[in-house]
Amino acid sequence: MSAISELSSITRRKGKATAEEKKANGRDNKAAYIFLLPWLVGLIAITVGPMLMSLYLSFTDYNLLQPPEWTGLDNFTRMLSDARLHNSLGVTFTYVFVGVPLQLAVALLIALVLDKGLRGLPFYRSVFYLPSLLGGSVAVAILWKQIFGTTGLVNQVLAMFGIQGPGWISDPSTALGSIILLHVWTFGAPMIIFLAGLRQIPTMYYEAAKVDGATTLQQFWRITMPMLSPIIFFNLVLQIIGSFQSFTQAFIVSGGNGGPSDSTMFFTLYLYQKGFGQFDMGYASAMAWVLLVIIGVFTAINFIASKYWVFYDD
Amino acid sequence: MQLFPRPASARQPAERRSHGARRIRKTGVVAAAAAVVMALSACGGGSSTQNADGPVELRFSWWGGDKRAQLTQEAIKQYEAENPNIKIKPEFGDWSGYWDKLATQVAANDAPDIIQMDEKYITEYSSRGALLDLSRYEIDTSKLDEAALNAGKSEDGLTGIAAGINAATILANPAVFEAAGVPLPDDSTWTWEDFGRIATEITEKSPKGTYGAAAYGTDEASLGVWLRQNGKSLYTSDGELGFEPADIAEWWAFLKELSAKKAVPSASEVVEAEAAPLDQSGLATGKNAMAFWWSNQAPALEKASGGDLKIMRFPTKTGSADDAGLWYKASQFWSASSRTKHPEETAKFINFLANNVKAGETLLADRGVYPNSEVRAAIESKLTPADVKVVKFIDQIKDELGEAPAPPPKGAGSIQEIIKRYTSEVLFERLSPEDAGKKAHDEMKSAISS
Repeated sequence: MSAISELSSITRRKGKATAEEKKANGRDNKAAYIFLLPWLVGLIAITVGPMLMSLYLSFTDYNLLQPPEWTGLDNFTRMLSDARLHNSLGVTFTYVFVGVPLQLAVALLIALVLDKGLRGLPFYRSVFYLPSLLGGSVAVAILWKQIFGTTGLVNQVLAMFGIQGPGWISDPSTALGSIILLHVWTFGAPMIIFLAGLRQIPTMYYEAAKVDGATTLQQFWRITMPMLSPIIFFNLVLQIIGSFQSFTQAFIVSGGNGGPSDSTMFFTLYLYQKGFGQFDMGYASAMAWVLLVIIGVFTAINFIASKYWVFYDD
Repeated sequence: MQLFPRPASARQPAERRSHGARRIRKTGVVAAAAAVVMALSACGGGSSTQNADGPVELRFSWWGGDKRAQLTQEAIKQYEAENPNIKIKPEFGDWSGYWDKLATQVAANDAPDIIQMDEKYITEYSSRGALLDLSRYEIDTSKLDEAALNAGKSEDGLTGIAAGINAATILANPAVFEAAGVPLPDDSTWTWEDFGRIATEITEKSPKGTYGAAAYGTDEASLGVWLRQNGKSLYTSDGELGFEPADIAEWWAFLKELSAKKAVPSASEVVEAEAAPLDQSGLATGKNAMAFWWSNQAPALEKASGGDLKIMRFPTKTGSADDAGLWYKASQFWSASSRTKHPEETAKFINFLANNVKAGETLLADRGVYPNSEVRAAIESKLTPADVKVVKFIDQIKDELGEAPAPPPKGAGSIQEIIKRYTSEVLFERLSPEDAGKKAHDEMKSAISS
C-alpha cells in the first residue's frame, strides 16, 4: 500500500472512529507526550520558564542580591535617555546591516564559483565551510585579536610594504570593522545553502538562454537570482536574527568591555555588562525584551518585503 | 519485537495492540522517571553537603595569577592536614571574569563560602546582605593592624578581614633605564614634570616599541593619588564623589601631554595593554620602564620580568614625598557568604588565613604585607628578596601617609570601567579632557547614586 493511499484510507475512516479507536488514539497521544517529556521538561525549565521570569524582571529593580522590586515601566523609560544604550544600538545595527549583506554576497560569490564544477569540490566546500564552524568560537576570536593587534600579523605584512597599520581592534575607528570582517569570514553556512540552491536550478533554463544569446551576466540576473531568491531570503532571515544576537566575538575581541570607547559595545554586550557587571538585572531583562521586539519587527519586515522580490517556482 | 505500535488505524489483532500499549505504558514510566531525574540533577548540585560529624566541604574563591594560585593551594593543603574533617575546594581565575562570576553565583544562591573581596565591591555586597558579619564568629582580630581592620567594618558589621596591606606605587625596571642610559630618579623628591621628562627621554633613547612609562588612567588608584595630591579625594565619607569635573580633566590633560611626547605608549597600545594579564604587561615584558601597580604585585611582576624591579613612590607636585598622598590600602579582604551553611568552619578558616603563622609562611607577601603584626614578625626570615622589598617600601612610607581615604560606596565597582573608557576617548582625541571630565563625572555620579 502506498503512503498516499494509506493516508486517504485513514482520512476516510476518521469520520467513523469507534470508541475503542478513540481510546487507543488517546493512549497513543499519551505515549507521544511521554516520549516528548525530556524535551518538554527542557523547554519549560530552560527556555520558557526563564523567559517568563525575565519578562517579570524587566518590570522590576533587581540587583541579583536582593529580591526584585516592582517598578513598572521604569526600566523602559530609562532606556530613552541612556546614551550608551543608543550607541550600542548604533553599533549593533551597523554590524547587522553591513555585515549580513557583505557576508551573503561573499557566500553567493564563492558558491557560484564552486558551482562551476570545480575539481575537488568536496574539498573546497569543506575548507570554505570550516570558518563557520570555528568563527563563533572563543579560540578564533582570540586569534583574531592577535592577527589584528598593533604588532599583529596584518601590520607585520603591511610593514613589509612600508605601511604603518593602525591597531585594528584597539582603534575605535577600525575595531567594529575588524569584527564585521570576522563575521563575513564565517560565510560557510550560507554558502552551503546557496550551493544546494544553485544545484536545484534546472540547466534547461540556462541552455535556452544561451540559445537566445543571453550573456553570463544576463543569465545571472534573469535566471539565477530569481530562482535563488527563496534561498537568499532564507539566509537573510537567519543571518539577521543571528547577527542581532551576536555576542561572543565582540566580548572576546574587546576583552569584555566593548571598547575601545564603546566602539564594539554591542547591544547584547551592554546588556551583559548591565546585568552582571553593574547589578542591574531588571534593566538588562528589559533590554533583552527590547531586543526580542527589534528582531521580531525586522523579521516581520523581511517577510512582508519578501512578497515583492522572492520568486517561488511553483 | 514491536516497540513502536502502529497507529490504531493500522489493522492489527486487538490482542496484540493492547499488549503493545501496556509495554508502552511501562516504557513511558521509565522514560518519564529518567526525564525527571535528569531535570532534577541539572537543577541541584553545587551547594555544599553537610553531615552531622562527617566531612565539611567549603568553597573558596579568589582572583589572581599563577603564583597566587600555587601559594594559596599550598596553604589550603596545610589547613586540611590539620583539619581532616574539612575539605576546601578552590575556585580561582582572572580579575576580569571574577566579578561577573561572583555576581551570578550569589544571585543563584550558590556563592562560595569564602570569598576574596575587594574594597570596590565590599559595600555593594555587604549593604545587600550577601556577606557574613564575621564579628559574630571566632576570629581573633587583636593582632591586626587597626586601619586595615577598620577598612572591613561598616554598618553591616565586620564583613571583611584585610588579607594584606599595600600601597599604590610606580614600579621601575632598572634594565630598561640602563639600556636607555637614563639614571633612576630619586623618588623622594621627584615631581610629575620629572616623571614626564624622564619617561620621554627613555622613549627617545630606547628601541622602537619601548616606552618610558605605561599610561595611567586604567584604574582608580592613579586617579586617587592625583586627587589626593590636589587636596581632593575619589569619594567623600558620605558616599559622594570627592572631586569636580575640572580635577579629572586636568589629570587627563597631563596624560594627553605625556602621550603627545610619546612618554607613554600609543592610544592603541594602551587599549591592548589593558587586556593583557599581569605576566604579559609592558613592565613584565620590558616594554615599559615604569608602570603603575600596587605594591603587593611587585614580586609577581618581578618573577614575570625575570629581573630586578624597583618600587618607587608616586611623583608629587611639590617635590616632597610628604605630599605624595599615599595611603595603606587593604589589598583584599577575606569575606564569607551570608548564606554559607557552615559559618563556624568558614570563620575558622579565615582565622587561619589571617592569624596563623604557618599560613603566613606559605602566603608570604603575595596579598600584601600581613596585617597581623605577630605573623609579620614571624615570617620575616622566610620572605623572598622581592617580598622584603615590598615590606621595606610599606615601612618606608609610613610617616608620609595621608589621611585614610573614605571607603568606596555602593556602585564603585563600575568606576574603573568609566575611567578606562574616557581615558581612551581622550587618548584617541575623540573628546577633549574637559568634555571627558564632565561626562565621566556625570556617569560616575549616577553609578554610585543608584
